[in-house]
Amino acid sequence: MKSKILVFFLFVCILPVFAGGASEDQNSIVLWTNEGESEQALDWLNTLAARFEEQTGFALEIVSKDTEALREDYISASIAGAPPDFLWTVNDHAGPFKTAGLLDVVNDMYDADVFVDTVTFNGDAYAVPISAGNHLMLLYNKNLISSAPNDVNEFIDAAESITGDGVYGLVYNQIEPFWLVPWLGGFGGQVFAEDGVTPTLNTSAMVDTLAFLSDLKTVYGIVPEESDYGTADTLFKEGKAGFIVNGDWSLSDYVSVFGDDLGIAPLPMINKTGEYPAPYTSGKYFMVTAGLAEEKRELIKEFIAYALSAEVQEEMVSAFKRLPARKSVLDSPLVADDPILASSGKQMSYGTPMPSVIEMRAVWDAIKPEMNAVLFSGKSPNDAARAMQETAEAGIQNLQ
Amino acid sequence: MTIRQFFFSRRGDSPFKRILIHAVLICMCIITVYPVLRIASVSIRPSNRLLSTDMAIIPEDATLNNYVSMLVERDFLQWLSNSLLLTISTSLIGVSIAASSAYAISRWYFPGRKLMIITLLATQMIPGAMLLLPLYIIATRAGLINTWHGTIFAYSVTAVPFSIWILKGYYDTIPRELEQAGLVDGLNRFQVFYRVILPLSAPALAIALLFNFTQIWNDFLLARIFLQSPSMITWPLGLARLQEQFQTQWGLFAAGAMMVSVPVMALFLFSARWLITGLTLGSVKG
Amino acid sequence: MFRNVTNVGFTVLAVVGAIVLMEVLLYLFLHKTLKFRKALPIVLIAPAVIGIAVLILYPIVYTFVLSFSNMNLSNLRVSSGLSHSIGQFFTNIANIFTVPILKQQYFFPILLRTMLWTAIQVTFHVSIGFFMAVLLNRPMRLRGLYRALLLFPWAVPQVIAVLAFRGEFNYEYGYINTILGYFDIEKIRWLTDGVWNFIAVNITNIWLGVPFMAIILLGGLQSINPTFYDAAEIDGVSKFQRLTNVTIPLMKPVMVPAIILGVVWTFNNFNVPYLLNQNELETTDILVTALFRAAFLEFRIGFASALALIIFLILLSISLILLKVTKPDIQFQSEKKRLKEGETL
Repeated sequence: MKSKILVFFLFVCILPVFAGGASEDQNSIVLWTNEGESEQALDWLNTLAARFEEQTGFALEIVSKDTEALREDYISASIAGAPPDFLWTVNDHAGPFKTAGLLDVVNDMYDADVFVDTVTFNGDAYAVPISAGNHLMLLYNKNLISSAPNDVNEFIDAAESITGDGVYGLVYNQIEPFWLVPWLGGFGGQVFAEDGVTPTLNTSAMVDTLAFLSDLKTVYGIVPEESDYGTADTLFKEGKAGFIVNGDWSLSDYVSVFGDDLGIAPLPMINKTGEYPAPYTSGKYFMVTAGLAEEKRELIKEFIAYALSAEVQEEMVSAFKRLPARKSVLDSPLVADDPILASSGKQMSYGTPMPSVIEMRAVWDAIKPEMNAVLFSGKSPNDAARAMQETAEAGIQNLQ
Repeated sequence: MTIRQFFFSRRGDSPFKRILIHAVLICMCIITVYPVLRIASVSIRPSNRLLSTDMAIIPEDATLNNYVSMLVERDFLQWLSNSLLLTISTSLIGVSIAASSAYAISRWYFPGRKLMIITLLATQMIPGAMLLLPLYIIATRAGLINTWHGTIFAYSVTAVPFSIWILKGYYDTIPRELEQAGLVDGLNRFQVFYRVILPLSAPALAIALLFNFTQIWNDFLLARIFLQSPSMITWPLGLARLQEQFQTQWGLFAAGAMMVSVPVMALFLFSARWLITGLTLGSVKG
Repeated sequence: MFRNVTNVGFTVLAVVGAIVLMEVLLYLFLHKTLKFRKALPIVLIAPAVIGIAVLILYPIVYTFVLSFSNMNLSNLRVSSGLSHSIGQFFTNIANIFTVPILKQQYFFPILLRTMLWTAIQVTFHVSIGFFMAVLLNRPMRLRGLYRALLLFPWAVPQVIAVLAFRGEFNYEYGYINTILGYFDIEKIRWLTDGVWNFIAVNITNIWLGVPFMAIILLGGLQSINPTFYDAAEIDGVSKFQRLTNVTIPLMKPVMVPAIILGVVWTFNNFNVPYLLNQNELETTDILVTALFRAAFLEFRIGFASALALIIFLILLSISLILLKVTKPDIQFQSEKKRLKEGETL
């Protein structure tokens, strides 16, 4: 008998240790974001949440996770039954999360007419856009290059003229297919067919693109033998490269290095087609977890409305040089009068929205090794394009 | 110390052999230390350049801005203090748990003993990445996510299997006679354990502690499950925030990396003496 | 920050208190109520057993259960088509051997590469570690300094060390390529060429793994009683014979567990091959990195769980074979005798 009392006592003592802490989660709203400390956007997001709490009395708990971890953990947490309430993240995540049935339709949460296009599936919006852009553009060092080239021929001439003695005409991330896509668009190609899910990689446009990228190295010799993101970035910062192809996220970093000597231009027109390269555009989006209580959803709607108000959007534009999703701010003098933002905006207007379907990953995984094979081991563009298509189709098969 | 003394002392090796040995050791040291110095070099390079064509460790435009920025502008001290708190407390708990369990396994036969020894090894065999999802599910169902007690519980257990292995081997070599003497002196079995066995095992305990410490200090997998709230995060999560999809703040990252290596180095140098004699007695004497 | 200190402090006290309380009560229960003779050892292992069961064994069992499921991105929850069945288990197992695990690579080439990787790593770790330990074991000047410097990599967080090496293998800026450049030798494509990338991953892990092995072997060397060597010297054996007949047998109890753990850890080493191979060359992937890609990039979770199970079985058989072949007998043979003595104590 005595021992039974003791055992009971033991449970009573241990329980509080394992029970505390979890209870308070019920009322707070949890937001996961992929914003980090790189541009200090996380700090800004925290201030937004603090101001929101002041206004409404509702606290937001903001958890920062890197892009990969956010994708993995959101799925894990959803299986475990405790996902965060909403997300502030990149559009690539919408595809897998929507396929897994984790996201709510957000048609009612914002006014689609006053914002740029968002992620839709079958006509329903699954994300609310926060910023637009994330697109590649042509940046140049004005100490080496006097003016922006209009077409590829001018561009190659300018690059050739400064190449040599450890200086390269052009540097870019030769590893990632994200850097191939703009040129593909310029040669008149598309990653997916009209239906948005069938890969169209074995095309003459892809062959032209691969040949063009290969020629930059072998024929004109204006790019380094091999360069990943870090190499390209360092060469450019060290003044050892005239042009770099890089995204809008790098702008604030380069401005701090070059100041007024940083030139920005759209990627040059392809002479063969007369088209401008079309980089993928995306941006940051709110996504809302499916199955939330109505009150919670209302609060989230309120926060989204606040975070996307013209005033807050302007704040984001000034602080991070990101293009806003609200059209009125995008067209305002704040953007038009800023030389950097204006050029970035011009480039964005040539871009195509990056697809959010899950097939996208299979396509990236298919292009990457073949692009590398063409650039680094001299595989013929024709063979590479054919192989890409096969791998992409097999990869999509695997997703079923 | 004269050169003569340097070359002709104690053992009768020829000067040539001595020089050769020192030369080999110096080469090995360079290979070992150089990559670390390169990280240090990134941390004092301005404008966030990861790479440099320059082989010099200290760039001409060296600056300590990255360190200042990490310490002043970021929550680095908060991350570091969270890490220190968790690591010190849980590695002590972990070693205590392992020390007592290893004693039981070393000294008694009980049902399931052999199974337990094999299980301890087997726990190391399942790929860690695959445990992410199940751990998430358990932690959520038990309400352990975002709580200190959940984190402390998880960290206390992580390095226990390895520690038990090390400690059991060590206890095995401690002679019975010492325990018998203790019992004759009127100590009970438990007192024998902590008055006789534990002091004798100090070296092995030091190894177990060091292993626990480094394992928990560097952990990312459990941290990202258990620690969500910004005020609770440890340095591995904090440094990960400096890496974004394409852009990484390499200078800050390297500065942070240098600073987080300090506690491990300190503990390492502090326990080096024990560590080296530690594994000795442990396994070979018996 | 100070709030955290008190919070963590109290939680630690509570956890420790709970553990102690549990042990005491368990002891009283077993000893006083059940009159169980072996109450003390049960109590001593209880916290470890509970902790390992919850945190390590349960997830392993869960993985096993998942391998019976068809869980993937479109069947994540029961409501959306998740189901478990024995048939699905066999389908998952069959898929491992018949469907590419990565985009193009099948199971057996990856398994072979993993084995090769493990063999290379353990061989180098043990041989360089042994060499280093022998050198550091000699009485000489500056020994303390060498020791501290050579064991340095162990103290650097692995993730950071790997990132540093990624920089060293950079085509333009890497250390080795820069040296090759001085001599006008063609630079090596460490990060984009399959074979060289595999070599680069191996070099990195050798750098990382040698110190730990050296520490353990140094411990073993130091414990060898010098009288063994004196005896060998009198017998007039050569240096090589001394190594094979005296040193290595005496170090077996230290080496065998270290090698077995080394095999297991290397086989399952995720950080080094994954982080160094940012270009996702399939020819560098080993089983665990392939598993990770299947599980978290494509969310083929049922399939990946089955693969984890296969990896587990492979490692278990390798370890058992190693234990059989090497027989770390000094400990194991005397064990029964020792435990018997302990019982009567």
